[in-house]
Amino acid sequence: MVSIEINGQKIEAEAGSMLIRAADAAGIYIPRFCYHDKLSIAANCRMCLVEVENAPKPLPACATPITDGMKVETRSELARAAQKSTMEFLLINHPLDCPICDQGGECELQDLAVGYGKDVSRFSEGKRVVFDKNLGSLISTDMTRCIQCTRCVRFGQEIAGIMELGMVNRGEHSEIMTFMGQAVCSEMSGNVIDLCPVGALTSKPFRFKARSWEMQDHDGIAVHDTVGSNVTVQTLRGEVLRVLPRENEDINQEWLSDRDRFSYTAYKSEQRLTTPMLKINGEWKEADWQTALDNVSSKLKKIVDEYGADSIGALASPTATLEEFSLLAKLMRGLGSQNMDYRLRQQDFRADGAMSAPLLGDSIVSLECAKTVLLIGSNIRKEQPVLATRLRKAARKGASISAINSTKFDFAFPLQVNISVSPSSLVATLARLAVIVAAKKKVPTSGTVEDIAESCPANKELEGLADSLIEAGNDGQIIVGSMAQMDGNYSLLVALATIIGNISEVKFGRLEEGNAVAAWQASFLPFADRGTVGKNATEMLNPALKACLLFNIEPSLDCIAGNSALDALRETGMLIHIGCYRSEEIEELAHVMLPLASVFESDGTHVNCEGNMQSWKAAVHPQGEARPGWKILRVLANYLDLDGFNYTSSETVRDEASPLISTTKRTASMDVYAPVLVEQNRLACISHLPLYRIDPFTRRSQPLQQTLDNPPAAAGMHPDTLASMGIDDGITVELANGGGKIDISVYASTSIPLNCILLPTALQETAALGNANWLEVKSRA
Amino acid sequence: MTAQTLSPVAISQIEKELEKYPADRRQSAVMAALRIVQEEFRWISNDVMQEVADLLGIPAIHVYEVATFYSMYEHKDVGLYKICVCTNISCQLRGAKEILDYLRKKTGIGPGETTADGRISIKEVECLGACGGAPMMQVNKEYHENLTPDSIDNILDGLDRHD
Amino acid sequence: MIKKAIYTIKSLFLIELMKGLSVTGKHLFKRKITVQYPEEKTPMSFRFRGLHALRRYPNGEERCIACKLCEAVCPALAIKIDSEVREDGSRRTKRYDIDLTKCIFCGFCEEACPVDAIVETRVFEYFGEKAGDLYYTKDMLLAVGDRMEASIASDRKQDAVYR
Repeated sequence: MVSIEINGQKIEAEAGSMLIRAADAAGIYIPRFCYHDKLSIAANCRMCLVEVENAPKPLPACATPITDGMKVETRSELARAAQKSTMEFLLINHPLDCPICDQGGECELQDLAVGYGKDVSRFSEGKRVVFDKNLGSLISTDMTRCIQCTRCVRFGQEIAGIMELGMVNRGEHSEIMTFMGQAVCSEMSGNVIDLCPVGALTSKPFRFKARSWEMQDHDGIAVHDTVGSNVTVQTLRGEVLRVLPRENEDINQEWLSDRDRFSYTAYKSEQRLTTPMLKINGEWKEADWQTALDNVSSKLKKIVDEYGADSIGALASPTATLEEFSLLAKLMRGLGSQNMDYRLRQQDFRADGAMSAPLLGDSIVSLECAKTVLLIGSNIRKEQPVLATRLRKAARKGASISAINSTKFDFAFPLQVNISVSPSSLVATLARLAVIVAAKKKVPTSGTVEDIAESCPANKELEGLADSLIEAGNDGQIIVGSMAQMDGNYSLLVALATIIGNISEVKFGRLEEGNAVAAWQASFLPFADRGTVGKNATEMLNPALKACLLFNIEPSLDCIAGNSALDALRETGMLIHIGCYRSEEIEELAHVMLPLASVFESDGTHVNCEGNMQSWKAAVHPQGEARPGWKILRVLANYLDLDGFNYTSSETVRDEASPLISTTKRTASMDVYAPVLVEQNRLACISHLPLYRIDPFTRRSQPLQQTLDNPPAAAGMHPDTLASMGIDDGITVELANGGGKIDISVYASTSIPLNCILLPTALQETAALGNANWLEVKSRA
Repeated sequence: MTAQTLSPVAISQIEKELEKYPADRRQSAVMAALRIVQEEFRWISNDVMQEVADLLGIPAIHVYEVATFYSMYEHKDVGLYKICVCTNISCQLRGAKEILDYLRKKTGIGPGETTADGRISIKEVECLGACGGAPMMQVNKEYHENLTPDSIDNILDGLDRHD
Repeated sequence: MIKKAIYTIKSLFLIELMKGLSVTGKHLFKRKITVQYPEEKTPMSFRFRGLHALRRYPNGEERCIACKLCEAVCPALAIKIDSEVREDGSRRTKRYDIDLTKCIFCGFCEEACPVDAIVETRVFEYFGEKAGDLYYTKDMLLAVGDRMEASIASDRKQDAVYR
């Protein structure tokens, strides 16, 4: 620490750190455009010029390292003259279109022009014009406004990890663009909108909708991943118009994934369910809440009386709120049923009793300091985009990150080891790693593990991985992702990962979608109640229940075996749909539809992967007759004459939910089962969940659906696999398994292991397939 | 315009350049790689930039940035002989404009143009560091200084004999 | 005593009455200031702030760009604007309403407008027969503008020299 003087104020600052940082810390504002504290220093806007004693010329505060005894003037005549001149240069080519610019009112250039600009420009020549670029459905561009600060370029390079935008040409001709006019496809691309200090990059869905000053800000939490990013929901006249990140250093910093940023565009979809509906003689009739709830409760009571409580069940979306999970669990248990689940995409429930809540095992911030990270069955960039930026930061600090997956994914950070093997060998590879780690730590492993490991010989990669895991110890992190959850051997993968974690003393984390942690906290699980164990998501659909409550899900897309889910639900005597949207399949299957308020219209609580409980208040009134989930369930429970449902606010519901058990406690070792293997002559199916298909909300967000992250449905296979079957790349084939068959085009990709098919789930096109461990390919002549 | 693809020779040349830099600094070879490409095709297409990017393991836009920053990289097909006439101050004082005019008279094209037979392109460039011999021009890799109409005649006549 | 005498003389000769009548008489022969409204009208400043209008450019394109500055500056909160991207990609209003029963005719909207779209005309004779009649929508305001364009334009021209 050295002492410097800024504007006569004595400040202690770290030698070698940049002047602007010390000034910011002391609350002295220096104007800037290109400097951003989360990005590298470019020093190309020159707005932060300040006078430094003994320096012949003004120096840029963002790129001037602090030395002992430095005397700086940020408001002296020289400094102000330099800043004013810089502003004059910047305004030479900047258009005077603030009235039609979406950045107007929240524009850094506009704000600073008030203080540093001149009334009249001395520049009488023509201004330069830059053609707008098409960057896709999320970002709209007005490139003439660009002041070449390159914040967007640096964001791509440094934070998002894929450099898509670049500054091409030179001098006055320089402009920001993508290579060959490609659309931007980063899952964090929306952040460049916030970073842009002018209106060159603005939000396309929000384009021209409102001005920044007229909207009301509401604090909210994003529910689409397990991070719980803090957001500001901006509304105008009772309508959500924009979602922005809210700074929280411990969680999302100032970033937000595109999914959380743009999914609001679906909340006013035409498919919103706005009144309670009853199916009477096959016809949908609008009803009032009283009639609808009366109908539901009387039928439920009748079914419970007739067939017993075990004949009813509830399936909920993983993005439901803690309050909703809590009341739904309490309601089902009140009726005497343990049949409830949110793990709609999980096939393997063998480890249910031993599994612990899907937590990271440490704080999100700690990810940055991890020395070794092992990702198992996780495409973390697309599953938890914000966590991926933390991992990237760790990688830049020198962490060694490895992945064991059934597909080679394009991560935004370099990988030490990137193993991609077929789902069947995935277990063997993990078991081998466990054996190697155990051998190195001189700990015995169970015979089952060694049996499983047999089919995977030890290799250098695994040895190296084991070494770095052991070396990292408590600074290491294992993450089992959502992709593993769809694997037929999930319980085994988790068990083996736990063993590896426990032996090498690396922190163990298991991540699921959305608000899954809240479901655990609310005990919304068939095995959460001591004593009887209820039916899980798969068992509830096979065989069909007498009555089923669907909480904001679309069975064919949200359940792993869409087709068989539909078949089962068709036989269900009483299907109650509580959801935000109506869809053809729901209209066909359900008997009652109750309109649910969306996250913006309802109070709620999200529990993130660190166990951090964050609540929010409704930002707008619900559409039509829709009501917040906790209110619907509370009143339904009253109609069912259940006790203990007299809640007056969402907070009373939340506070009743039991606190999570320690979030950093290590999971005890779990039993290892025999793996379920795909028969030799069959192709293994690798299911993956596209980023923007995870819940009914994102599926209806048009801008997200139009991005490159939402490619048309196609099945991927290794070129050799295709060749061995004599199928050409790009043709349409018939895929079939026990449950159903679909026609789909195939593409070749070397990232997919041999004899496997990579198939996207949650798409209309693939929903007709049944349970998805293996597939048969029939070439269509 | 046919799609360009790197020849094995070019790839091996680029690989040789890569040896000069540390393994984790492959982007350092981007300028050399682009020079090799330009020597092969006379200009650099987007397709081949993508190929270079894949070869070096860097984003394509990064290659594009470099290729558009430096004016000696061509983005459109140029003639067999690229004549770069310096029009900076020293050459200008010594009659660069007359040289350009004379070239136009001889070839029928001006700066930024290529003759119909695809033989000659003329380009106006900034200082090439031969102010002592102003006015000057560069034909492909060769400098020609103290230009006069006569010497230009000689140079143009001698073009095909060089190869 | 003397006071009483003066009072007697004044009241005897009706002096006070004559004084009053002389004022009436004077005005009888003076130029009349009464205007026979509505046949006759008082002169009006070109800065008169009456009924609002939305103007168009000579080519028929509406001027308003939905910047919402008038809405922001309006002290009576009488203006309500919704904006959208028009088919041609330009920024336009979907709704532009002025509640004339709220408006205080301060002229701030006119001052705030960067494109001279919203103006206050000389029209002050307008009325509504039922609630809501004085709620002017975009179409009504544009119609006023179309009707009054000649006078609006000449008024702006006269005022321009003072700006």
